[in-house]
Amino acid sequence: MHNLTPSAIELVDFYDDGEQARHFQFRLLDGAVSASADPALTEPTLTKQDTGWQKVQIGQFFMLNVPGVGEAPFTFTQMPDEQGHFRALVRQMGAVTTALFGLQPGQILGARGPYGIGWPMNEISGKRILVVGGGCGLAPLVGVVDHLVEQQNYTQLTVVYGARSQQAKMLNPERERWQQFIPVFNMIENGDLNGDENEYHGRPIDIMPTVLDSFGELPDVVLLAGPQVMMFGMADYLVASGVYDHAIYLSIERRMHCGLGTCGHCYLKHQYICTDGPTFRWDVLQPYLPEDH
Amino acid sequence: MQQYLVESLKALQDHLSRARQFYQVVEAAPGDAHWQHIIPPAYPPLSAQKPQSSAKSFFFAEQEPLYVFDGQFFRETLPSPEPFVLFGVQSCDLTAIHYQDLFFEQDVYYQARRRQALLVGIDCVHPCAQGFCYLVNAGPGVRDETADLILHPLEDNQWLLVVVTAQGKEAIQGVALTPASAQEMNQRWEQLSHCEQEFDDHSYITEGVERLNRGEVSDALWQRIGVQCLACSGCTTLCPTCSCYGTQSQPFVSGDGEPVAKAVEVSGTLIKEDSGAAPNTEQPATQQVRFWDSCLYEGFQREASFNNPSAQAGERVKRFWYHKFSDDFLPEFGRYGCVGCGRCEQVCPGVIGVHSVMKRIVDDA
Ligand SMILES: Cc1cc2nc3c(=O)[nH]c(=O)nc-3n(C[C@H](O)[C@H](O)[C@H](O)COP(=O)(O)OP(=O)(O)OC[C@H]3O[C@@H](n4cnc5c(N)ncnc54)[C@H](O)[C@@H]3O)c2cc1C
Ligand code: SF4
Ligand code: SF4
Ligand code: FES
Repeated sequence: MHNLTPSAIELVDFYDDGEQARHFQFRLLDGAVSASADPALTEPTLTKQDTGWQKVQIGQFFMLNVPGVGEAPFTFTQMPDEQGHFRALVRQMGAVTTALFGLQPGQILGARGPYGIGWPMNEISGKRILVVGGGCGLAPLVGVVDHLVEQQNYTQLTVVYGARSQQAKMLNPERERWQQFIPVFNMIENGDLNGDENEYHGRPIDIMPTVLDSFGELPDVVLLAGPQVMMFGMADYLVASGVYDHAIYLSIERRMHCGLGTCGHCYLKHQYICTDGPTFRWDVLQPYLPEDH
Repeated sequence: MQQYLVESLKALQDHLSRARQFYQVVEAAPGDAHWQHIIPPAYPPLSAQKPQSSAKSFFFAEQEPLYVFDGQFFRETLPSPEPFVLFGVQSCDLTAIHYQDLFFEQDVYYQARRRQALLVGIDCVHPCAQGFCYLVNAGPGVRDETADLILHPLEDNQWLLVVVTAQGKEAIQGVALTPASAQEMNQRWEQLSHCEQEFDDHSYITEGVERLNRGEVSDALWQRIGVQCLACSGCTTLCPTCSCYGTQSQPFVSGDGEPVAKAVEVSGTLIKEDSGAAPNTEQPATQQVRFWDSCLYEGFQREASFNNPSAQAGERVKRFWYHKFSDDFLPEFGRYGCVGCGRCEQVCPGVIGVHSVMKRIVDDA
């Protein structure tokens, strides 16, 4: 049975990471309560849930609950470890995220999940891999790149990141860490560059000829996440360049309320992004899109 | 399946209501029928009238709390209704329940209510206004897999009772019933097939659905239809298969109507010693609720960034009818999402109910 009741988590710490964005660390508290509560709020019965928190796949997401404000979906940038610590990068957008930005460490929040289908790690590992993330869209890719870099489990791995401006760049510590091991291209759309040799003017697509050249042959697998226009444009470009459409994976975003395929909000044709995605293979996704995507 | 002749409906009603809350459709005025809680023995006449609202809300509540947060813990608030019987549910609405049973198979709130219900179906012997159940395999006779017991009206205020499920069989144990004769059983099929003949010609629905599935309905037509949608949510509210919901956090109000201002003290051992987390007694308790939503609302898919994949009214109306009639859903549900009750046509102040839409699809070709 689906469980819509969150587990209690604690906000452990956070740091600012880009414009109006923060990287949060949370910790699952032991003993989430799931027994039926009567309205009088009597002593809860403690049932330790097997929520699957220890088996989170890279690319899955969770629903964060800010009590009194609401719930919203976020990607794990770090999967829960044995002590239940995990991370998420959050951009301040509306009610839930604004309330979250007003909280201090020690605050108790809720989280339920993990939900969705993660990245196909078996298809990716050991291959020549291109990763392209736009803006906040790099968040669902952090886990993959971290994992591959740590395990050195790739033939080639290149990351292309696009940001609107110097100030809008997110996940700086992550990219700085990666570039000690792999090529990272940072694309800045507007304004000044910071003088780093791996920073360029333009959008991710503008650097693609260079990036594809660097692969010699074409990449075996491409992972895309970010604004839909960017992902779809990039996917079309890559296919036109000879990359197989079944070698391209994307992470799709939709408004979500349940994460379980029942609230209906995240529909795309007869699919629900929360359960059939959020990661999709491009050849599978395309028929679900309007013709003028 | 055992079939009986029921000479006194009241004896059956009395028996079923002994261990259950009893609900039946009450006809307040012609055209105004609704489900009502009945205190035995004040049973109204068993109405053949399709109620304005289906039985959907008995299982999928219009609004319900999901859990309460007391400052320290999230507690699931499962409904725990007493056993109840819905006495006299039409076939279209039973088919819809069957459809939602599948859709909400894993939903604890839905299933907590559903488990408590005994469903007594009633065959329709005349078509209802705007109904076309026969076209979508949802009536007018009650489908076996959708009810525990089925009632069929015979002459002289007598009823044929078909026992479908083990639960139905158990529920009537102890009621004095005569086994039905072959003639009475045959009469059921005769009356049902006669009823099917009485329906108007709805071939435009068949044709409209075919066109929809061949992708022959232009976006321009959907947009013309869409701009006439007032987004009143009348159709999605009354449609017995519509299931979309939204969620929201609200202050938790205790049984006596007082907001719970302070989190209750809960034993500290529930949280790991080292967590340092104490209940926040400043924060009022809150609850998460869910409520019926509508895919026809402009903001249904609007994201925090204001990106909206279904910003156009035409896209939303197209979605609604795609969800009801696309072959894409057949592998999962084995049937269309529409059960042919016609309520969307009856309620729509614009002209985008099922009959109007299908006629326009056909005329536009
Ligand atoms: C699978 C997935 C993963 C995501 N991962 C991240 C991430 O790692 N970091 C990040 O900053 N953002 C992420 N987002 C986007 C994030 O969920 C929205 O920015 C967030 O919901 C905004 O909530 P809000 O309450 O501040 O905005 P409001 O506009 O006040 O939203 C109100 C409610 O609407 C719903 N909602 C609104 N917009 C969205 C949306 N885009 N997606 C889903 N639900 C929405 C939520 O239920 C939310 O509580 C992700 C979205 C999805 C679908
Ligand atoms: S649609 Fe069919 S089953 Fe439903 S009330 Fe009308 S005639 Fe009866
Ligand atoms: S779409 Fe209309 S006719 Fe079909 S089940 Fe829903 S309300 Fe009834
Ligand atoms: S978030 Fe509810 S169906 Fe996907």
